[in-house]
Amino acid sequence: MTQRTGRIRKWSVSALAAIALLSGAVGCGSDDDGDDAASSTTTSGTEAPDSGGEGTLIRVPQDHDTIQAAVDAASEGSVVLVDAGTYEEAVDVTTPDITIRGVDRNEVILDGGFELENGIRVLDTDGVVVENMTARNYLSNGFFWTGSDRFRGSYLTAYRNGDYGIYAFDAYHGQFDNSYGGGSPDAGFYVGQCYSCDVVIDNVIAEYNGLGYSGTNSGGDLYIINSTFRNNRAGIVPNSGSYELCYPGRSNTIVGNIVHDNNMLDGPGIDVSLIAQGNGILLAGSINNVVERNLVFNHDRTGIAAVPFPEEDASDVPPPESDLEIPCDEIDPPSGDEEIELVLWNATGNRFVGNVIESSGLADMASATLAFTEDDLVTAELNNCFSGNTFTSTAPVDLELLAPCDGEGNGGDFTDGELNLGVLIADLPPTPDKDSYKTTPEPPAQETMPGDVEAPHVHFEAPEKPDVDAITVPAKPSP
Amino acid sequence: MRALRTRTAALALALVAGGFAGCSSDDGGGGASAGGTVDGDVVAVTAPAGPPSGAEGPSRHVGPQGRVGQFVVHCTYSHSGAHDPIVHPGHEGRSHLHDFYGATEVDSHSVVDSLLGEETTCDKSPDTASYWQPTLYDHGEIVEPTAIDAYYRAAPGVSPTEVVPFPLGIALIAGDQTASEPQPGEAVGWACGSRTVLHEEPPECPASAPLHLILTFQDCWDGEHLGSADHQSHAAYSADGTCPSTHPVHLPQLTVSVAFPISGDGHDLSLASGNVYSAHGDFLNAWDPDGLRREVEQCIHRDVVCDLASNRGEEPLFTG
Repeated sequence: MTQRTGRIRKWSVSALAAIALLSGAVGCGSDDDGDDAASSTTTSGTEAPDSGGEGTLIRVPQDHDTIQAAVDAASEGSVVLVDAGTYEEAVDVTTPDITIRGVDRNEVILDGGFELENGIRVLDTDGVVVENMTARNYLSNGFFWTGSDRFRGSYLTAYRNGDYGIYAFDAYHGQFDNSYGGGSPDAGFYVGQCYSCDVVIDNVIAEYNGLGYSGTNSGGDLYIINSTFRNNRAGIVPNSGSYELCYPGRSNTIVGNIVHDNNMLDGPGIDVSLIAQGNGILLAGSINNVVERNLVFNHDRTGIAAVPFPEEDASDVPPPESDLEIPCDEIDPPSGDEEIELVLWNATGNRFVGNVIESSGLADMASATLAFTEDDLVTAELNNCFSGNTFTSTAPVDLELLAPCDGEGNGGDFTDGELNLGVLIADLPPTPDKDSYKTTPEPPAQETMPGDVEAPHVHFEAPEKPDVDAITVPAKPSP
Repeated sequence: MRALRTRTAALALALVAGGFAGCSSDDGGGGASAGGTVDGDVVAVTAPAGPPSGAEGPSRHVGPQGRVGQFVVHCTYSHSGAHDPIVHPGHEGRSHLHDFYGATEVDSHSVVDSLLGEETTCDKSPDTASYWQPTLYDHGEIVEPTAIDAYYRAAPGVSPTEVVPFPLGIALIAGDQTASEPQPGEAVGWACGSRTVLHEEPPECPASAPLHLILTFQDCWDGEHLGSADHQSHAAYSADGTCPSTHPVHLPQLTVSVAFPISGDGHDLSLASGNVYSAHGDFLNAWDPDGLRREVEQCIHRDVVCDLASNRGEEPLFTG
């Protein structure tokens, strides 16, 4: 059904070096607490339905020695309330519509001891809410929902985990709020393979990760708002690739975030994060995103940029625009028997408005691509637009005049001051030791969940759509 | 969490039977059909040699991940040696050189008991199985591999809930080490990066998607033997989601992707077993049985993606 219109290309390896932006060489920046992001999380839901087991309060360790045993004993509507303590468990959740809650976010600690894989893993199970606890030292992920809809993770702390901190894959209608993800080689927060996701990430903090936020092939009613991304290798990096389904990443809304000092050199980072190093908000092959009213500062390369992601071992080519609104699960996957040499996922159709960007080593704002043949898009054709931002430098120069979001551009030269991606690659930062995540900073005590910890489970149906228009550029945090 | 260590072969076999019975309890499919053969106290280790099974080779999952349930184990390179505990057990040096992943102490004398609970190079600690393939040479020089990704999935067309965990101690070999010409089917093949299109010979790969050897193991078992004299007869490949009546038990389809730091042109590649057509790989299951059962039930039976392997963690992009 999908008409393949992308081009199959074969490029030299050296040419591919072009993706990286020039790496600067400064260490981590400020270590402010960043707790000034507005807490505007909302949820929509109802009290647990009157069906078997609702309202059951199961305590750990009073009723069951382990969280796993309590979760297994729970039924729809149950609350598993975990007392203070350290739990050396990898919990699999297959009971729908339950809440797993800690009595104190900083005192209820799941610890993988660098032996176990995931703190809490929710598998093909809808309506699971996890609140008010910490997961650390897991080989893979702190908190992980896969194939599980109607999910919520609130007041969670995840740090020193080997892949992601807080992670949703092929999961819809979800929310991460008031949470912390730190010290992961991949991303502190990740939402992948969903369209239209219907996911809200609100008032979270990501630091000391390879990427603060990453999302491959995700978007559509996906909001990243009111959050802080600092001291990662790169801040917010939606991206695309055909090694997973649902490409390209598209239609994310990134508003009201504080993104700063994402230049970490001495911490964990998968290879892709090294390429993204030193950028605040980097749309890497993700399209049709809205980036508005963010405060972005202190980056070695760019504050906000749209760049391509070349995939040399691609499984498929970009779908035609007419397929972009098709939900993931209705897309026929490719046959896989086609040898595709390389696909260039361009970052196109992105809207950058009202952001405040300062102190960027290369450019406060950039739009860039690679063009090796006459058929390839050039920067002027990317259809990214820029208006009403506060900045001092752009690449190409005068980007707001060249590509405004309202009205025609001035017809100027997009090659004037354009990033030369082809020469920027040579300065990749050193590859970190794969175990470097194990020694990342321990976060200070985080705000614990307000309210009665014995409150009943509240059925979670979907996140409330945020009032994005009401979000203003956040104030700069105190140094 | 760790498996009990067994001291004797008989105990190990009992474990196999127990593990199998346990994991088949909720499926009523492939497990039930073979249950009679493993309910006994003793399970034969070695089946008589017979005509090679699965000559047609596997049907494989191709294209992007994310469409079927899977779990993936990433195991870094452990060591090399002239060991082959499946084909030449107890005969040090009789084998050609192999590269090993998973259990770290594997040699010619290794048996399941000696692997269970030991150190592993895999990122799932219950995976103390051993994976190996013949050492790759480039212009006569040894090429040290990087790592493997081991994908565990229901084979195409197989109902996920019919899949039972590999029995403890089962030995599988994908590919034909004696081949000097292209092997039929797609049990073995070469590819670049995470591409799934197979080549009979190593293709020229870009640095960001270096050379991989792709091995797909048998996913049907006779329900009785952990090995066989020809190392093939106890297992077979499914076709159109169906196992042959002689091998009715659905196992996970294990696909191992071996990464080599080989890209660009100018290579003269061969294997310790012969030319590049002799590619093959071995799997000796010494997973902690509880750990393996958990992943099979949670990920394959539920048809969810528990792990992904991607080019995101590959060799550094664009450094060539």
